[in-house]
Amino acid sequence: MITVNYFGNIAEAAQSSSETLDHDSMSLVDLLELLDSKYSIAQFPFQVAVNRKIVSKQQALNISDSDEVALLPPFAGG
Amino acid sequence: MKKVFLEGAISPEFIADSIAKHQGKHSIGAHNIFLGQVRADEVGDNKVVAIEYTTYEEMANEKLYEIREAAFEKFNLTCLHIYHSLGEVKVGDICIFVFVSSPRRKQVYEATEWLVNQVKEHVPIFGKEILDNADHQWKVNS
Repeated sequence: MITVNYFGNIAEAAQSSSETLDHDSMSLVDLLELLDSKYSIAQFPFQVAVNRKIVSKQQALNISDSDEVALLPPFAGG
Repeated sequence: MKKVFLEGAISPEFIADSIAKHQGKHSIGAHNIFLGQVRADEVGDNKVVAIEYTTYEEMANEKLYEIREAAFEKFNLTCLHIYHSLGEVKVGDICIFVFVSSPRRKQVYEATEWLVNQVKEHVPIFGKEILDNADHQWKVNS
């Protein structure tokens, strides 16, 4: 199971702040495609964090069971 | 780990109390404080009445730790404090409080601005701007 955390307008689109997907392992690119097919996330500007570090959406990265993925809309602190 | 996130607005009493807590630290000769206040931006025919803040707290705390460490390396500081609201903060209320102390004046100005910029750019905080017609939009830092 892969856990994905959603924030801001992406959490609104997903109607949830967190979700576990029934996959043990998949590439980041495939994961983002899957999420786009579910929630049309490509319409939003966002960054991806894997294990709390920002990564490129195109990075050849395998996401597995213990990884924590988060989709982060533009920051708005302050 | 120092606590940064507070529920709701940051009160003037909390800020005053933070200042008072430094009166026993006699190597300090200069404090500088930045306070961010929620502004009633106009959005078309409507106005922002509040911002509801959320964060990715685990990542935010890691980032804030890095920012603190970097600030102490970059500037000659005695101490620094960063506080940010979560949840709803109404217009006119304080949502961010950055407090920098040093033996001398020069460094605190630069350090304060650097810290506020770092928080805005690198800490995953999200702001939902609530409008007076109960609609909302998502804040983006410019």
